[in-house]
Amino acid sequence: MPGTPSIQRPTQHQFNPYSDNGGTILAIAGADFSIIAGDTRQSEGYNIQTRYAPKVFRLTDRAVLAVNGFAADGNMFVKKVKQRLEWYRHAHAKDMPLRAIARLIQTMLYAQRFFPYYVYNILGGIEEDGSGAVYSFDPVGSYERETCRAAGAAQSLVQPFLDNQVYFKNQVPPPGRAHPTHLPLRDVLDIVIDAFTSATERHIEVGDGLEMYIVLAKGRTLQGVEAAQEISARTDGERVFVLRRDLKKD
Amino acid sequence: MSIMEYNGGSVIAMVGKDCVAIASDLRLGNQALTVATNFEKIFPVTDRIYIGLPGLATDVTTLRERFRYRVNMYTIKESRTIEPSTFAHLVSSTLYERRFGPYFIEPIIAGLERNPATGELSPYIAGADLIGCLNFAKDFVVAGTASDKLFGVAEGLWEPGLEPEDLFETISQTLLNAVDRDAYSGWGAIVHVITKDKVISRTLKGRMD
Repeated sequence: MPGTPSIQRPTQHQFNPYSDNGGTILAIAGADFSIIAGDTRQSEGYNIQTRYAPKVFRLTDRAVLAVNGFAADGNMFVKKVKQRLEWYRHAHAKDMPLRAIARLIQTMLYAQRFFPYYVYNILGGIEEDGSGAVYSFDPVGSYERETCRAAGAAQSLVQPFLDNQVYFKNQVPPPGRAHPTHLPLRDVLDIVIDAFTSATERHIEVGDGLEMYIVLAKGRTLQGVEAAQEISARTDGERVFVLRRDLKKD
Repeated sequence: MSIMEYNGGSVIAMVGKDCVAIASDLRLGNQALTVATNFEKIFPVTDRIYIGLPGLATDVTTLRERFRYRVNMYTIKESRTIEPSTFAHLVSSTLYERRFGPYFIEPIIAGLERNPATGELSPYIAGADLIGCLNFAKDFVVAGTASDKLFGVAEGLWEPGLEPEDLFETISQTLLNAVDRDAYSGWGAIVHVITKDKVISRTLKGRMD
């Protein structure tokens, strides 16, 4: 404008070290098993970077970790957790117990308190007493043991569905009977598949493929869950299986 | 601060076999502070059309009166009651009139539509955004502060061809479990199931936290 002195500010540039890669993860604990699942779509904004990028990883024969949020941080975090577990194996000649892995993850996340890993972690597996367990974390390491948890882009779609179907929230049991505290494996798998097909239908960042990791307590068998591929190192203790399903690609 | 989340509240409508259901929570808030727990957002339009008005509470009251006025004018001029699809377009044009200074409401319409040729009644639901863009869904429509939660649960629970009592259970479970994960909705609910010969209205107890 004429007459007004022009104020020239130096151009500022900013680097944003984080991004959101979408996707959703979910874990449910049974009495003597645990299921940890995640979709395989990886996106940035409206672009799909790949239709197959795993978010769920086997740590040991009794621990599986699902990582959701910023994929670069997630992959690096899993790499570092695996490295710490290998060191533990070399020092103690055994796998780290699940509750110890949960505490390790807390300290590793809190170590980055002022430059956090931008990820939500869900750890599933078998506890030392043989019970199925799920631990969920926030990005700076606050954690809790639960029966079920969803995280990621479609958390708000999936979690209330799980409240209803796993915790039987807002449902009244028949007179003289109580709701079951733990569900059978087959029922849990059906709930997981329903949760992901629903999330795929209504959320653009969820879809392509579904990976479900099944961790079984020592002595337990799959019992009619066909086509699950075994990935455990030994077959005489806790065992880990993977089940894959297609999800809609649109 | 989003105007759409200022007072909180959610509405959902579902299609069943020869019936429709519409339900809402009962909370009225001033942001995080709950002010009332008996604030109904669903209103009868005719004896087989209901409209749900989640959004800014002051506009709930205003729009209810505007729709009542416009439906009365239609009834007088046309000497017949309005059909759900006609009413949906009335809602749409009423909202679009305020395209650049909108009412902060996302209406949900549920009713039974009379086929002019056969006289049969068929389920009709519709949703709209705050400037009146209509969404004619075949299954369910949701709106309000718990809309994403409602989408997730409804997608998991709803199935085609539900009878009135089953539809009531489905919409109730969907709403209750969705609003329990939403800080701005809840504190009880009301459900209306519209069938051929009657409307079943039930007030539900919900979590009070």
